[in-house]
Amino acid sequence: MLTSVFIAAVSLALFWMAAFTLWWQMHAWRTPEVLASTRFSRPDGGEGQSFSLLLPARHEQAVLDHTIQRLLESSHTDFEIIVIVGHDDPETAAVAERAAERDARVRVVVDTHEKKNKPKAMNTALPHCRGDIVGVFDAEDQVHPELLSHVDHAFRTTGADVVQGGVQLINFHSSWYSLRNCLEYFFWFRSRLHLHAQKGFIPLGGNTVFVRTDVLRDAGGWDPECLAEDCDLGVRLSSVGKKVVVAYDSDMVTKEETPGSLMSLLKQRTRWNQGFLQVYRKRDWKQLPSFGQRLLARYTLMTPYLQAVTGVVIPLNVAVALFLDVPVGVAFITFLPAVTALVTFVFELVGLHDFGKQYGLRVRPVHYLKLVVGGPFYQLLLAGAAVRAVWREQRGRNDWELTSHVGAHLNSSESREDVHA
Amino acid sequence: MTSTLPVVTVKVPTQRQPASKTAPAPRPPLPPSRASRLRSARPDLLTCGLLLVAIMVVQGWNIADYPTLSDDEGTYLSQAWAVQQGRGLAHYTYWYDHPPLGWIQIAALTWIPSLLSPDSMTVGSMRAVMLLVSAVSAVLVYVLGRRLSLPRWAAGLAMALFGLSPLSVVLQREIFLDNIAVMWVLVAFTLAASPSRHLWHHFAAGLAAAAAVLTKETMLVILPALLVTMWRHGHRDTRKFALTGAITACALIGFAYPLFALLKGELFPGGGHVSLFDGLKYQMTRPGSGFILDPGSGSYGVVQSWLYYDRVLPLGGLAGALLLIVSWRWSVTARALAGPALTIGILALVAMRPNGYLPAMYVIQALPFLSLVLAGGVASVAHAVLRRRRAEGERRPFTWARYVVAAVLLGVSAAYVVPRWYDGDRTAVTARANAPYRAASKWLATEVADPARTRVLVDDALWLDLVHAGYEPGHGVIWFYKADLDPAVTKTMPRGWKDLDYVVASPTVRRDAVNLPNVRAAMKHSSPVATFGTGDGRIEIRSIDASGGAR
Repeated sequence: MLTSVFIAAVSLALFWMAAFTLWWQMHAWRTPEVLASTRFSRPDGGEGQSFSLLLPARHEQAVLDHTIQRLLESSHTDFEIIVIVGHDDPETAAVAERAAERDARVRVVVDTHEKKNKPKAMNTALPHCRGDIVGVFDAEDQVHPELLSHVDHAFRTTGADVVQGGVQLINFHSSWYSLRNCLEYFFWFRSRLHLHAQKGFIPLGGNTVFVRTDVLRDAGGWDPECLAEDCDLGVRLSSVGKKVVVAYDSDMVTKEETPGSLMSLLKQRTRWNQGFLQVYRKRDWKQLPSFGQRLLARYTLMTPYLQAVTGVVIPLNVAVALFLDVPVGVAFITFLPAVTALVTFVFELVGLHDFGKQYGLRVRPVHYLKLVVGGPFYQLLLAGAAVRAVWREQRGRNDWELTSHVGAHLNSSESREDVHA
Repeated sequence: MTSTLPVVTVKVPTQRQPASKTAPAPRPPLPPSRASRLRSARPDLLTCGLLLVAIMVVQGWNIADYPTLSDDEGTYLSQAWAVQQGRGLAHYTYWYDHPPLGWIQIAALTWIPSLLSPDSMTVGSMRAVMLLVSAVSAVLVYVLGRRLSLPRWAAGLAMALFGLSPLSVVLQREIFLDNIAVMWVLVAFTLAASPSRHLWHHFAAGLAAAAAVLTKETMLVILPALLVTMWRHGHRDTRKFALTGAITACALIGFAYPLFALLKGELFPGGGHVSLFDGLKYQMTRPGSGFILDPGSGSYGVVQSWLYYDRVLPLGGLAGALLLIVSWRWSVTARALAGPALTIGILALVAMRPNGYLPAMYVIQALPFLSLVLAGGVASVAHAVLRRRRAEGERRPFTWARYVVAAVLLGVSAAYVVPRWYDGDRTAVTARANAPYRAASKWLATEVADPARTRVLVDDALWLDLVHAGYEPGHGVIWFYKADLDPAVTKTMPRGWKDLDYVVASPTVRRDAVNLPNVRAAMKHSSPVATFGTGDGRIEIRSIDASGGAR
């Protein structure tokens, strides 16, 4: 009897968690009207804002120049690019200097911190920004030339303090985990972030994010000690009531690639999770006015851990229902979370189809198969990253794993860990 | 319900996402706010409310006494009683004849009344809960009509056809699983035609469809029409999510039934237990009742029994459906009513199987769709007469001619329908068809000395009455066919008919005894001690001959 009650209670809790996550994940597709409202509105041709685009680059001499050139092709007429390089990184600095000589809109700021990370680099550049709006990109980003005009329009028409554009991993065909990784981004930027913007609590992304310069300075820039400084900034700004607008247009997203190996994906995820945990413990979200918002904040920031738990418990639960002798009614309840997980699976398959359609990519049957078969393994990876994050946080290891790996054999895939959803 | 109302341009801040002020594509109009919706819905509420009162009066008046108690009603209500009593899904072995959700719902509906007065758990008195089901279904027909773009009066007409046709009145009063399943199907259609095209509305439509199928498995054939409705009411950008969601929801809930069988170890046939597989096999191989158009066949008889109550709704609706299917390409109404018309088409085709089994309740699942399609047809005709090719400055005489034609058509159809329906519905509210049953029940409760030790074969409709009178459920008072078909029951009567005391010969028992050796023998070796009613409808209480009686 006690076992039955316990099992039923666990199952129902899991069910509600899975159901809410699913509900939020599908936010953008609720109605055609909601879907239409997630896009950028078309710019009217006018320009009112000037931009300072931050481009932190570290050992990225191979891709940096191309990224700068592409940013310079932007159709907007009033922007500057501030490339931030480290004092110990002469190769990248040389590329940046050459670009600055060619075009007056490019400037170079040198970060002299002994221990380097992305928030410190961006804080170094913040006093040098002359534009009304600070934008952040990564050194390997492919930015659409029309993006700035759209963002400008969004700022002017909505009175927003922050505009978050879409970021999308594209190389879904590279490996089984990149497929799932791409889809995670798709659901996050295409759908879930809009819900967060609507509810007034939002963890921002790491790039294609635009903040009014004065708002950013008032907030004291980025938190140099936080492993998820982007999430933290979003939480701090939205917690004090700053208005955040999210827009996603498939032809206007910033395209990126997934981490180059499973290990780097694991590390990247560990860092985010640890960052989320830090943001949770900083308690800025406690200032949120409504109970519902605080609950959403709590839930969102703890998601990595809940994910880890559900990944293990759901199969266990089903096994209990099948092999232990519990009443039929209880057995049915134990299936509820699994049923919700199945529904999520199906929506992911449809999402993959939509992703292919939106980006004109050919999704083959084998990819759908990979998506399904890879699901449990990816769940395992997420669980591993969550456990690892808790472990590291407990041991007080909150250095950037990225930097500890920076060495002679650095390839561009390692540095892509900075990509953040 | 607001889909056909003139859309008021209300600016509603639905989303706090101002980036969306002007979307690249022209945005669909925002749904009006709750207050303005309520205001504009007032005429709808009035129409629907008045009709509902009329339907409830006609269906509720005399509900216990007409029509004759049916064996099936007894079956489902007894099984609902077994659920309430915690005896499992049936008081005899549940053998997967139907999915159990139907009588689980009946059990829930009758739960509170049966707590207040346990003796009221009999077919006659518990028909009252079917009023609730009819009320919900009738309102849903109205709402669905409005969502399928019918004008207010036509949606009201559909609701009236659905609730007041003598055929509906007779069938919807009875405790049939089909009535409950129809309610769920209507929920599914109404959600599928949701004007907000909400993902979770469509998902819920899938859930409701699954509930319908698990209530009565025949609803499975209607699902394609539901899918068509959903497709038509979806939006290009979100449709694939909505439809997959609905199908997934429906399939997952539907699989609960085989899963249930699996958990009980009864999915596949095996020694000494029932199985879902066997249940399905039984339903699929039921002896056919012949071709529907062959005057000698059972199916033909069933159709005639429907037409006896009402010709307007079945024949008019069928004609309307055919018309809509044919005119699909150029008629707006036809496209709007594609779902209901297709439903009728499917059901008609299934009924036309050359040697299929056509039960008397078959028409129940068609009733709401026949009503909608017929009302839609009437709306098209009205439109054709009153509005078609009507120019701005049409000359007076023409306009008058239109009104005259409309009035004549209205008069003729009223002259045909009203007297017939009046007669049919008057019978329904006045006839006393169940006096013999009631008398038989009373006799067995009062004249038998020791009910607890008496064994009697009855049809299912009378079973609960005798349980309340003190007979032992299952082996004391016995569903007559279980004496031959259920090994658990035959085991308790090693000497066959000699182990019984009475057999209550109702029309059902007399009809089926032919194929049941034990029941036939009991009939043969018994003589009537009391007879109620006359002719074919009479009920005899037959006492088994004392020579073999002592147990």
